[in-house]
Amino acid sequence: MRRISIYLLGLLITVASSAKPEPRLLPAAAERSVDFTEDIKPILERSCVNCHANGKRKGGFSIDHLHSFVAGGDSGPAVIQGKSAESLLIKLVLSNDPEEVMPSKGKRLSLDEVALLRAWIDQGIKWEKGFTFAKFRNAPVAPRKVELPKGGETNPVDRLLAPYYSKNKITPSIAVSDHIFVRRVFLDTIGLLPSPEEVTAFRDDNRPDKHIRLVEELLQDKKNYAEHWITFWSDCFRNSYTRQYHGGGGKRITDWLKKSLEENKPYDQFVRELISPVGGSDGFIKGVAWRGTVNASQVVEMQAAQNVAQVFLGLNIKCASCHDSFINDWTLKQTYSFASIFSEGPMDVHRCNKPTGEKAEPAFLYPELGSIDAKAPRKERVKQLSEIITSPKNGRLARTVVNRLWAIFFGRGLVDPVDEMDNPTWNQDLLDWLANDFADHGYDLKRTMKILLTSRAYQRPSVRLNEDVEEYVFHGPVVRRLSAEQFLDGIDQVIVAAGKDVPRRHTGGQRAGMRNLDRLMRTLGRPKRDVVVTRRESTATTAQLIELSNGKPFADLMIKGGNAWEGSGYGADVIVRKLFANALGREPSENEANSAQSVLGKTVNAQAVADLLWMLAMHPEFQLIH
Amino acid sequence: MNSNTTRRDFLSTASTATLGALAAGSPVTSAEAKVNLDSLQSTADTVIVLWMAGGMASTDTFDPKRYVPYEKGLDPKRVLSTFPAIDTAVDGVKFTEGLEKIGAVMDRGTLIKTYRAADLGHILHSRHQYHWHTAYEPPLTVAAPHIGSWISRSLGPLNPDLPAFIDIGQTFDSGEKESLKAFHTSGFLGSEFAPFFLVEPDQAVEAVKPPVGMSDTRFAKRYQAYKKMLANSPIQKHGSEYQRESLLKSIDNAHRLLSNAKARKAFDLSLEPKESYDTYKVGGRFGLGCLLARRLTEAGARFIEVTHGYYPFKYWDTHDNGHTRLKELKSMIDAPIAQLVLDLEARKLLDRTLIVVASEFSRDMMMEGKPEKRVKDQVNVPSKINELKHYGMHRHFTGAGSVLLFGGGMKKGFVYGETADERPCTTVKDPVTTEQLHASIYRAMGIPHDHHYNVEQRPFYVTPDGTAEPVMELFG
Repeated sequence: MRRISIYLLGLLITVASSAKPEPRLLPAAAERSVDFTEDIKPILERSCVNCHANGKRKGGFSIDHLHSFVAGGDSGPAVIQGKSAESLLIKLVLSNDPEEVMPSKGKRLSLDEVALLRAWIDQGIKWEKGFTFAKFRNAPVAPRKVELPKGGETNPVDRLLAPYYSKNKITPSIAVSDHIFVRRVFLDTIGLLPSPEEVTAFRDDNRPDKHIRLVEELLQDKKNYAEHWITFWSDCFRNSYTRQYHGGGGKRITDWLKKSLEENKPYDQFVRELISPVGGSDGFIKGVAWRGTVNASQVVEMQAAQNVAQVFLGLNIKCASCHDSFINDWTLKQTYSFASIFSEGPMDVHRCNKPTGEKAEPAFLYPELGSIDAKAPRKERVKQLSEIITSPKNGRLARTVVNRLWAIFFGRGLVDPVDEMDNPTWNQDLLDWLANDFADHGYDLKRTMKILLTSRAYQRPSVRLNEDVEEYVFHGPVVRRLSAEQFLDGIDQVIVAAGKDVPRRHTGGQRAGMRNLDRLMRTLGRPKRDVVVTRRESTATTAQLIELSNGKPFADLMIKGGNAWEGSGYGADVIVRKLFANALGREPSENEANSAQSVLGKTVNAQAVADLLWMLAMHPEFQLIH
Repeated sequence: MNSNTTRRDFLSTASTATLGALAAGSPVTSAEAKVNLDSLQSTADTVIVLWMAGGMASTDTFDPKRYVPYEKGLDPKRVLSTFPAIDTAVDGVKFTEGLEKIGAVMDRGTLIKTYRAADLGHILHSRHQYHWHTAYEPPLTVAAPHIGSWISRSLGPLNPDLPAFIDIGQTFDSGEKESLKAFHTSGFLGSEFAPFFLVEPDQAVEAVKPPVGMSDTRFAKRYQAYKKMLANSPIQKHGSEYQRESLLKSIDNAHRLLSNAKARKAFDLSLEPKESYDTYKVGGRFGLGCLLARRLTEAGARFIEVTHGYYPFKYWDTHDNGHTRLKELKSMIDAPIAQLVLDLEARKLLDRTLIVVASEFSRDMMMEGKPEKRVKDQVNVPSKINELKHYGMHRHFTGAGSVLLFGGGMKKGFVYGETADERPCTTVKDPVTTEQLHASIYRAMGIPHDHHYNVEQRPFYVTPDGTAEPVMELFG
């Protein structure tokens, strides 16, 4: 987003530079030996950090770390070691061209300062060990009480968004048409398409609370709810249905997970059972092992620490598993202490895979939430951890999961990315209220889902992300693409619909989310589940469309559909209407009906129906959730 | 410059995956560093990896040592090679018997004798293969991309009508299939850069045609009708939207490939003259894969890998009968590899095509691992060889292995590295690690060894930490 505008700026600079003024004369490098801390840091602090440090990277250039400094930005490396006269940095600070001179605002560098910079570059670009200009944001861990503002809206989300809408001049009340809403909410709750009858029933329902009734009814469909959500959680927990690597580990948790989802297990209990395993839930912290020796940052205890932090706390400690992190404040020692909770004996701290000679003492990342008895046996320590993480004092657990739900339903989180919960949110009150409500009401996932799905915010027309603006503004759910599982279930539903007296919400066989990974699903984006995936890639790729256009598995599905609909005995016009209704949840327009009819011809044959089915399967209205 | 024109400019240059990353805030990377092709002069446009999956014994192929013929009661410790040495086109460079044709083109090649595989503990082929193909040792917190995906992401296709990364011959139905899948992936770079898989070279053309049973006419009509239906759809009134645009662009790309007569010819081995076809055919799936690689290189492919496929205990995974099996294996690679070199040369493509003949590690009759890092033996070697099946290089040796390079800016008739003449025949001078090999291949392609993309806010380099340097002595 920001990058594009900078890219543009780059273009403008290039265009403007055709008639640029002569730069200042290059001063000689200072002759003495320069010191980074004494001589260079103050110059950078004064003239560069406003735009190029602390997460800001104008022109793609960040001076936060030595490596980012040297790597430079969009225009190439900033400095060439030993060649200060040829270094871009020196050229820019000497420039007299207002379009390119650095710093772009404020006082220019004196020639003495340039001489120092030159000497520093020529003397080898020495940096203070471990120094960074970055100061990282740490979101508070404790819950924060938010009073629901007064107002006319009944749904808390809408009540909380009202001031936001008025501040951002957004009309609150616009909503999508019924058939789009029904499709959206079916896919988001149970991962299936609504049948034409279900769409019609909703449209013809005149009760004012029909949205709430539908959401409640769908969340009650336990089997389909579980078989849809198992996909998301299996991605998070690396729950591969097949063997993982040649080496062990990677135990399946499918049965435990499905049952937990069916009974809507309270989330705090759900998390406790994953961290301190009960029967069938031990796969998550057990980790994935390859035969042989592995890097110190990838031993199973470390995997457990990394994955618990990422999935439950939206916290990235992967960098700090090797060395003190460059992207947040976490240190190697803290990470080892956390990982040691999962270890039978004390762990040897390794920096970049080399032992430091230190031993780690088991401790949790946020000591203010509770302490681990370092002397207790592993089983006891892990149990303590599971209780500390799920204690009501840990607002971060609830914030992380309600934010995940928000991101799933609205296409972008209240905090983004969803695994970086230290990032600022675009609506702190909304995030904190949702998290509190969730924790105060038994960590009931379906309760929060219902609040989100029955809000007017969720009924808003879908939008695309506006990548030109610096700051995200919520206008409605972002257009999303069907997951591999939703797509294949949907295709199955459209095929099965050719039959008579088809049971409700039927795909004709095992649902895609319960099946083993196959080539088709893999191409459509279902991960291998060897690493934690909390959000899938959602954009179509050429490889996917090749697979869908000529791959045998999908071609076979189309033929199966063609045969089913040919055998239904319906006439061409009925088939067209029924296919549209089942696939897109609406009637075809007259023009659409005509073009579809011309594909089918006069007498219905399986091949032509297969082609029409393919056309509908490739239709953006089918593949996307609007 | 208004924002509409820029959007269009950007769309035309950015890949759909980049767009996806921007649109959905999805976890895939965004490009932080663009490859600056001006700063690093490339010596190759295309890479062909010829993959000897399973562990090719160097002392029975490209680095002959003392030959001790088979006889009953043989002491295995005495045997270093089970084949006699033969001359090659280069004075002083010897191969083993059975590689005469490759030997005859060695004056176009560079032989690395001292490839040292990593120390990963108890040997596992797929794990070493993962390392060879990504330069990273699994497991990892982020899915590492295959070298073909890195090149595809960094340079894009050479001919936009062909997939940038084509993988020929590997299937995923063997005992280690899940581990094999783990590195046959574009990883965090996003599936736009994933390999385009072809299993049987003879049937490759099926992958770039309409599905079996559908004529070209029907395929084209279906797409025409689709476009017409969309034009009539109310959705077209909604204005531009990334998700939809990337979907339509991807469908269009797919149809361009699947109905492109010229591209299809490149994949169609039935169009190859019989004499040439038969030369490659002796190598079975691998040999025809070499032929397909040549045709695809002519058509402008960027990265191709050709293999028999890795199957535990098959092909180069010689846990027994090593000598007998290598005789056959060499007869399968000798003519196709030599012919590939000659064909590319005749077409003036060899100079800009880098051929890499390699394997995850070497083999030895006695040693598992390497002298300073021995690991648990996996093959039982009798103290006296009384049956032919025990005559061969059956243990997994990581101390020195052969990598053969042709074209793409490499020296001609050159040998790099020295190995000992006595067991364990390990590296004595100029070791080359997997990471250095990667850095060298990237260097040939004009990609700096510290090139990276960001994932989860941290740089992920083409070689770990961007520290491995190319071996510049290999370059001509």
